[in-house]
Amino acid sequence: MTQGLFHQNRSVAWFLLALALFVLLVTILSEAAGNGYLSTSFVKTLGKTLCLMLVAVAMDVVWGYTGILSLGHMAFFGLGGYMIGMWLMYARTELIIADSLRAAAIPPTPEEIRDAVGQQIFGVVGSADFPWLWIFADSLVLQLALVVLVPGLLALVFGWLAFRSRVTGVYLSILTQAMTLALSLYLFQNEAGLRGNNGLSGLQNLPGLDAVPQATLSIWFFWASAAALALGYVLFAWVVSGKMGSVIRGIRDNESRVRFLGYHVESYKLFVFTLTAVVAGIAGALYYPQAGIINPAEVAPIASIYLAVWVAIGGRGRLYGAALGAAAVSLLSSWFTGGGAPDINLGVYTVQWTDWWLVLLGLSFVAVTLLAPKGIGGLFDLLSRRHPVPLRTGDFGPDKGARRTVEGEEEK
Amino acid sequence: MRTLLEMSGVSVSFDGFRAINNLSFQIAEPELRAIIGPNGAGKTTFMDIITGKTRPDSGRVLWGEKSVSLLKMSESQIARAGVGRKFQKPTVFEAQTVRENLALALKNRRGPFDVLLYRKTRRGAARIKEIAEEIGLAAELPRIAGELSHGQKQWLEIGMLLAQDPRLLLVDEPAAGMTPAEREHTTDLLRRAARTRAVVVVEHDMEFVRRLNCKVTVLCEGAVLAEGSLDHVTSNQDVIDVYLGR
Repeated sequence: MTQGLFHQNRSVAWFLLALALFVLLVTILSEAAGNGYLSTSFVKTLGKTLCLMLVAVAMDVVWGYTGILSLGHMAFFGLGGYMIGMWLMYARTELIIADSLRAAAIPPTPEEIRDAVGQQIFGVVGSADFPWLWIFADSLVLQLALVVLVPGLLALVFGWLAFRSRVTGVYLSILTQAMTLALSLYLFQNEAGLRGNNGLSGLQNLPGLDAVPQATLSIWFFWASAAALALGYVLFAWVVSGKMGSVIRGIRDNESRVRFLGYHVESYKLFVFTLTAVVAGIAGALYYPQAGIINPAEVAPIASIYLAVWVAIGGRGRLYGAALGAAAVSLLSSWFTGGGAPDINLGVYTVQWTDWWLVLLGLSFVAVTLLAPKGIGGLFDLLSRRHPVPLRTGDFGPDKGARRTVEGEEEK
Repeated sequence: MRTLLEMSGVSVSFDGFRAINNLSFQIAEPELRAIIGPNGAGKTTFMDIITGKTRPDSGRVLWGEKSVSLLKMSESQIARAGVGRKFQKPTVFEAQTVRENLALALKNRRGPFDVLLYRKTRRGAARIKEIAEEIGLAAELPRIAGELSHGQKQWLEIGMLLAQDPRLLLVDEPAAGMTPAEREHTTDLLRRAARTRAVVVVEHDMEFVRRLNCKVTVLCEGAVLAEGSLDHVTSNQDVIDVYLGR
């Protein structure tokens, strides 16, 4: 099976090789290895980029392969981050409180510690009680399970409702935007129990690992992100190859034809939607400990639109294209907005990239859509001279010389 | 010969327009049947009702030995029950190879997890090859379906229908855009298929229908106008008035 996979998709082997070399290079150059060619914060940026590449690959499966333009996958990414963030924040605060109370004359009861932790975490939103959401927050195992379960269940329920009603195309995209907007607005409320607009912070500090320097932690997370990307890439390459790939590409190109072949299209969409949501959740759970903070703005509708832009620029319908698109755009974005790009003085006006980067991104999105629909991934066709993503040749239906009948609408 | 499909008293209207008007229709297994009728007679709607694409306002559609109602089933369930449909315009998956197209249609379990864990079998490959030879596309198996000529796409779709191994084949204008030689081949193929299955062919071309040499149903304004051999229906005055006379 796996042999067949590598045989079918030579890009999988190349991608894994390139990823392995990249990880090796970054590891050698990192501060953790004793030399400081790459700063810890840059290693974190690279680690975060790997997580974004993973969610972009998932987005490509759902959009590029199955044809569902989901503009809500960053909601699943954010939920994954929130789930791991709850444990990180709880466990670390608990350790700090326990430490400070140890000096007290009377040893504190577990009750007192829990109250103090609540005071510490929720003081900022004027509360001291743990909302019901946090019942599992003291257990790493359960919160890790929630990283998978919460995005998975949300996607399952949302997808079931949407696909069952045969909502497709732009209407589905709007619905997913509404979902992520609703989630974001809900999380902004203090009553939601996730600290409102403050979000969860201090996630870069792992509980019990205070002695480990951030340089080392950053490279650990970098490795974990790379491993997740590699596994996710292989998983999705397996899903989109073979017969499953054939069915979902069929759904993308002609949904009702697939239906008339006897496939229950809604189940397939639900499968892809949920699987990609779960992977997005895992990617988020690796991303936010590197970012250090998560707040409701992270699941705002714009985040999911960016995700679609990365995949479009990278090239839909091929996994490495999406991964490259996410890497290129997010790294360029942090370069431009982080003050890396020098301002351009035009005499009358100074172009400051922090303001103009979004304009540049928008223009390149339009340019890619119009001029190079295959995106960055299309460049590889020039190398291999093969065309793994065939263009549709000509219209459906009879050519001009063929006998035609007027009756019957176009089959939809 | 047992009745495979029975429609009775089926009516459907779109925005007040009665596309199908109290239509009754039966087909046995095996049987070959041609359906003719002027434009707007409701031929395509008739197929849409059987395949579950359109829900009728009233009437019954019963299927198989157990006389299950098709009206309660989804399109994919109906297809799995054994109804295969070929569209008027060839609709194949243009971005996939001929082999992939046939493999998609091949009779197998259709659930997402069955498909995910599906492994190619020698039997499946042999069946694909067999079908490809029958439709004259054996040499084109690795080609992208979008590159095929119009006639070849028609063939591929017929091949997909055969791969599905349905009990009832609904074929909408199979000969459209085909050369005379290809038409003859299509006739043979349909007649051979009709030895073991029920085959319904919707066709405009009288010459083609004559060559099928089977019972003919004439549809007009959503109802059956006449039924019988081609000679019988073409001598019917009503048929001449609404269809042939023009």
